Amino acid sequence: MNATYPTVAERLVHDTGFKDVLQRLVDMSERDYYNPYRLFEWPQTLPQDCYWMSPELMVEQSTEVGPTFTETQLHAISKWQSINFYSLNVHGIRELLHEVVARIHTADFAVPSAYFHHIIGEENEHMWFFAEFCRRYGGKIYPSRAMSLAGPGIPEADHFLVFSRLLIFEELVDVFNQHMAQDERLDPTIRKVNEVHHHDESRHIAFGRQIVAMLYSDLRERLDDGQLWALESYLKRYMRSSVDGLCEPLMYRDAGIPDPYAVRRRVLADPGYPGYVERVLKRSISFMTNTRIFTSGLFEEPRTAEAAT
Amino acid sequence: MSGQAGFGIVADYLQAKYRQVQDLQPDEPGAALAPDYDLIDSRVLDSLAFVEFILLVEEHSGREISIDTVSREDFRTVESIRKRFFDGP
Repeated sequence: MNATYPTVAERLVHDTGFKDVLQRLVDMSERDYYNPYRLFEWPQTLPQDCYWMSPELMVEQSTEVGPTFTETQLHAISKWQSINFYSLNVHGIRELLHEVVARIHTADFAVPSAYFHHIIGEENEHMWFFAEFCRRYGGKIYPSRAMSLAGPGIPEADHFLVFSRLLIFEELVDVFNQHMAQDERLDPTIRKVNEVHHHDESRHIAFGRQIVAMLYSDLRERLDDGQLWALESYLKRYMRSSVDGLCEPLMYRDAGIPDPYAVRRRVLADPGYPGYVERVLKRSISFMTNTRIFTSGLFEEPRTAEAAT
Repeated sequence: MSGQAGFGIVADYLQAKYRQVQDLQPDEPGAALAPDYDLIDSRVLDSLAFVEFILLVEEHSGREISIDTVSREDFRTVESIRKRFFDGP
């Protein structure tokens, strides 16, 4: 589909492939519908002397900072890192719900609105079980650190940036969910939360990839190279800062680690850290590269047209 | 660290970001960041840099900051940041 349509609505209406995908996703959501409020057993407590996150996914474990901690400290960090991870999910879902609710049954998004109902319903339930986990086993949800200030300043790209951010967030989280759902070192309650989320998110990610690719294909025909590079730079910064959010000082404080802000600085400045960032974002980076949203690596400036030839 | 020493670190960070936004080279002289300069409209603080900044303020003010209890106006200028996070007990 190469023609430029005057509105997002017409772009979506004329794409029969997109409509087929939407119908399949609606069918799957209806088929797999479950009651999350009765799905989990929620034991009174979870064991403290073990990992709550897969150690290979813990943010400090790919750096020189990891080996400075004892096994007991790592167990405590893994507990609070998991509370931070699920807290980030709660805050990320709040943004997702806000943005999808703002678009459902509007002129631009008439076509996917039937599926938006499923996304809203499922995400509300995910938010509930992540919040429940945090409150039951951590006694708190860590505060959000995000504030909406200036973005790249390209109003035509608003829809694209919103769905890109949501997709990046969902893909990043899913890397953890998929791995931890199968990690037998983790408590069954932890595995279950991750398994249930992974199951639903695979549909949301399929939708996100479709709409992001379509909106970008449209923008390629509307924006100049400078604007496209601005979007690329912004999304790379967004991806890197999303991973930085996994390294929250308050989790080190709650794990009893001295000087928690300095620990975060050491992790983020460690030569091993960029490799961790690329590893947990591997799927998103591949998607962004395959759709030509990214013209260069995650830590590189966008490639100019002259350099690419 | 908190109080005026902590505020100095936050002010230095903002001065460095201000130079970046103005695209000044390290050896290039530039104006000092005025206490009432709009940090948000000028993009000295943007959405993606905000998390890093809020952690810096938290560390050097000694106060845990929940986003639910602050507004963007608290971060509008160097002066509003000083008043909101570094004045008083």
